[in-house]
Amino acid sequence: MSQSYNRGLIEDFGRWREFTAGMWAWIFHKFTGWVLIGYLFTHIAVLSTALSGSEAYTTTIQSLEQIPVVRVLEVGLLAVAVFHILNGIRLLFIDLGVGLESQDKSFYAALIVTAIIVVASVPTFLAGAF
Amino acid sequence: MAERYSSFQSGSATWLLQRVTAAFLVVTLAFHFLMLHFLNEASQITFAGTQFRMAQVGYFVTMGLFLVTAAFHGVNGVYNALINQGLEGTQKTAVKWVLIVAGVALVAQGLYVALVMGGYI
Amino acid sequence: MSTQIPESETESQPETDSESEAQQRRLAEKAARKERAATEASADTTAGPTVELRVFRYDPDVAEKQEPRFDTFNVPFEKGMTVLDALIYARDHFDSTLTFRHSCRQAVCGSDALFINGRQRLGCQTQISDLHGDVVRVEPLPHREVEKDLVVDMEHFYEQMEAVEPYFQSDEIPEGEQLQSRENHEKIKTSTRCIWCAACMSSCNIAAGDNQYLGPAAINKAYRFYMDEREEEAVQRHRLKVLDQEHGVWRCQTQFSCTNVCPKDIPLTEHIQELKREAVKQNLKFW
Repeated sequence: MSQSYNRGLIEDFGRWREFTAGMWAWIFHKFTGWVLIGYLFTHIAVLSTALSGSEAYTTTIQSLEQIPVVRVLEVGLLAVAVFHILNGIRLLFIDLGVGLESQDKSFYAALIVTAIIVVASVPTFLAGAF
Repeated sequence: MAERYSSFQSGSATWLLQRVTAAFLVVTLAFHFLMLHFLNEASQITFAGTQFRMAQVGYFVTMGLFLVTAAFHGVNGVYNALINQGLEGTQKTAVKWVLIVAGVALVAQGLYVALVMGGYI
Repeated sequence: MSTQIPESETESQPETDSESEAQQRRLAEKAARKERAATEASADTTAGPTVELRVFRYDPDVAEKQEPRFDTFNVPFEKGMTVLDALIYARDHFDSTLTFRHSCRQAVCGSDALFINGRQRLGCQTQISDLHGDVVRVEPLPHREVEKDLVVDMEHFYEQMEAVEPYFQSDEIPEGEQLQSRENHEKIKTSTRCIWCAACMSSCNIAAGDNQYLGPAAINKAYRFYMDEREEEAVQRHRLKVLDQEHGVWRCQTQFSCTNVCPKDIPLTEHIQELKREAVKQNLKFW
């Protein structure tokens, strides 16, 4: 038996143009999930400054909020959280067996609503940042 | 049924719990964002403001539950994503325990901070 | 007597000798056939429409093909031609070493599942006229080891199928016929259509990452028997134990790729979801 050839994962990602809606949903949900859990650990760490007294806490948070990059990242966090929530709701419906026929349409809807919410929130998030 | 294994042998318990925590988090995460970016301004946060919120028992309990469910949902999600990638054997067991410890530590630290914020300790 | 082979366009000069005349005619015909075949194989001549087939080649035993490459075949297009037809033409007329599995050519044997223009499809079920673009790209199924050209190793797929015990099991055989109600048959009807082509397994990203995952085809097979009312409860519980494992139904992330590519239109994701809900219900009972 001669050796067989394993084409590996590289071939997979090169095909991104052929990905279906369901695949994109899975990829984005995973990506946003990782970002959120990473943020949760960071968030608790920042909030832990409260243990060093009220001054430390207030100063840390307010100085972070002065940095423009941080404010932009907050918008990113909003986008990530909103998508994860909306696609999560889509997945909950799928798990209940409801709306399986329009599962790809509901993914596109989740993307669009995420975009709308993020754009609408930008003024509030970036007020006074620049 | 004597021969029935404990329900934690099957994957159905964690699968269901992931969904239940998801439903709870949809509401609490949305609430948290609204509270801290729209009803209050993130750039104006002070310890005093935080203490005022945390001192209210209802808010404190909600935040506590929020932390526990988010930690479970997130750590379980990471674990499952890694299994899907092909994690197995001793590596898997090692990663599982690291994640459990990290999750428990996160919750413990978070609850402690919340108690301090609310002036309970 | 001139033994020079004449050109196909010019008529051969009639010789006084009838035998050599026949001989010359035969030689002329042979030359004409050879030249027709040669022009068909090249890109510039078209006696009619052709379709450009770009096929993945790999052969560990042949030096030029040890590194995978793509070969181009220009196959004359006929109305109603399938990708399988085109491949067979290419093999029969251009390169007899082109290797691929096929059998029934009517989408029931499951042999010719291929990756055509970026999607898992059956070669015999895919009309060339349905494909978009000028080129038909034919590759072996993704996430499977390639043995030669378009032939992939199917052993792992069969192992996962065997793992769910894909056969009817019953200890209580009644006297006379063991009938299944119409409603029950309607329920499992779609799940009985599986032809073991492995298109679904190859499209699932989790099956690609996690080697132990049973996969949509195996779970669907288990569904077909789990939901069959003729098997008793003890068998059902036994089947559920196989499915209710870390690498069983729980690995499915409802990506829907399997449902999208199934050539027999089996709602695979739906069946897997039903089994997940079954497992939850069964386990809740024992708390």
